[in-house]
Amino acid sequence: MKLAIATMFVAIASAVMTTAAFASPEKGREIAIEADGRDKGFGDSTAQITMILMDKYGQSTERAIRNRTFEGDKEGDKSLVIFDSPGDVRGTAFLSHTKKADSDDQWLYLPALKRVKRIASSNKAGPFMGSEFSYEDIASQEVEKYTYNYLRDEKLNGLDCFVVEYDPVDPKSGYKRQIVWMDKAEYRVHKIDFYDRKDALLKTLTYEDYNQYLDKFWRSNRLVMINHQTGKKTELMFADWKLQTGMTERDFEKSALKRTR
Amino acid sequence: MITSSASSFAIVLLLAQTAFAGEVNGTLSSRLDFYPDHADGTASEGRSAELKIDAFRDFDESRIVGEFIFRGDKKDSGRRIIEARQAYFRSPFAGFDVFFGNRQEFWGKAESKNVVDVINQSDAAANDGKSGKLGAPSISAERYLDIGDLQLWYIYSFREKTFNDSDAHPSSGVPVSSAEYARKDDKDADDFAARLSSFAGDWDLAGSIFYGTARDPILSVSSDGNALNPYYALQKSIGFEAQYTGNVTLLKWESLHGTQSSLIGAHDFVAAVAGIEYTYYGPFKTTWDIGLIGEIQHDDRPQAAANQFGVAGVRLVFNDIADSNILFLTSVDRKTDQSFVYLEASRRINDFTSVKLTSQFYNARTATSAFGQLSDDDAFNVKLNMFF
Repeated sequence: MKLAIATMFVAIASAVMTTAAFASPEKGREIAIEADGRDKGFGDSTAQITMILMDKYGQSTERAIRNRTFEGDKEGDKSLVIFDSPGDVRGTAFLSHTKKADSDDQWLYLPALKRVKRIASSNKAGPFMGSEFSYEDIASQEVEKYTYNYLRDEKLNGLDCFVVEYDPVDPKSGYKRQIVWMDKAEYRVHKIDFYDRKDALLKTLTYEDYNQYLDKFWRSNRLVMINHQTGKKTELMFADWKLQTGMTERDFEKSALKRTR
Repeated sequence: MITSSASSFAIVLLLAQTAFAGEVNGTLSSRLDFYPDHADGTASEGRSAELKIDAFRDFDESRIVGEFIFRGDKKDSGRRIIEARQAYFRSPFAGFDVFFGNRQEFWGKAESKNVVDVINQSDAAANDGKSGKLGAPSISAERYLDIGDLQLWYIYSFREKTFNDSDAHPSSGVPVSSAEYARKDDKDADDFAARLSSFAGDWDLAGSIFYGTARDPILSVSSDGNALNPYYALQKSIGFEAQYTGNVTLLKWESLHGTQSSLIGAHDFVAAVAGIEYTYYGPFKTTWDIGLIGEIQHDDRPQAAANQFGVAGVRLVFNDIADSNILFLTSVDRKTDQSFVYLEASRRINDFTSVKLTSQFYNARTATSAFGQLSDDDAFNVKLNMFF
């Protein structure tokens, strides 16, 4: 019995020491910077998105969305989300100017009123269109928005991956931490576990069906978010990815919201 | 009625050109109104249906846009309308986007009242909130500048405000006679407006000018007491708008300063709204948003229902799949002891259908106050929208 306890103690001590030996904030940040750098130069992108919302009983409903993104230089990316269905939100558009350090600037266009409305961006943790994606999940991911900790190497779906912890800097984030699986060859994210503020596993996001564009930029065609606490699920099916379409920064100013259709 | 009907007809013909890329969508709405306190001889209920067709077609860098409203009402002829709310041709010219034809535009920041929103006339008889507008027959130009967005407007024909029938609701109970104007060209007098809007950090700012016919008429009872006479004054005004967007708090300001020339001479006026909106995100461990709204309205024009209203409201957004939300607003004029309560709840039924319930209650201590004259106009409405 004594021997068994001693063996267990040695095993635990060695596991703790192994983690301590390899966990590295510097390496975590280097991986995030490398992943960000590999996507630099895409210029702008457009995609058609079908959002499928499923409740815990498997009943589903669909939304049609268009997404346009403009790559930021000094500041973060600018993105425009346009709703095509359901009918009551048709023509509604959401514009976000992502900031590296400050809160993002966000506007909403309400087509019935022809009104462009500035909205507070602190609702990061709130659900986007009633889905399992929050506003911060769909926002542009900037290196400065997290601190990092490289945890370990691990195989996922046959791919050698880095496993890195992302800790949101903003206290208004709905997450205490995110565990990110990123493949070593191309630095593509394959899976994220989201932990809520009480450090309980909240959601898991998986990225599937990656395609490469312009011989450089990888984009996933299927994102699946599962909420472990509610049993609900949301899928984003991407189609018709286009990069470097020639859009300008002017297409992402608030006045452009009125002419998204 | 379609004003500038020839240009609207041309827009319809161009929209029908199937050789060019475009889109056509429609909304069919059916509405039931109930008036629990209706006076004798006035309607106890109302039934109406509205078809909205919106469409666009692209021609190279130009675009044709149409938004047509066809509304029928069983009893209230004031609500019946065929309207080209939007019917315009947009094309780039000399660095501007230039628009020819009927347009709908929104200026303002506040929630309860938008005193700077001067471009469109209100389709008040629709009793459908801020979206009930008549298209402004106009030539307008917009340009994005480094300092902000510039809009220039020339509105070449005036639209009169719509009123419900005297036995319908809301109504003072007296029929509205034909309008009179301060300007000698009446409806044909031209209006001019311009606006520059911008943002810097947490602040969104705008300034505007307007020269033209006032949108709200001054209403007076005829000498025999059997009619309300609408009189449209000449208005020269400047408008200011500001919004501060904090983490959870929005601060809003809107003001209109100017002169109104009418039969009783020229009078300076100020109309302003100051407001705060505070939002609790995810209270009680839910995904709801609860917004608390507080606004103060001031308006010293004779058209205003009162000099000052205090407005308080709550907006509850459930952030669910059905986009369910509830809005409660109350406006109180303490000086003449009158108030107005508005309640709205809406949700999606399926991808093609949504439902909205609204109720409106007018309270007044004296029958002669603005809301006193609307004391039999308390209403419950249910509106079903079908999208195709």
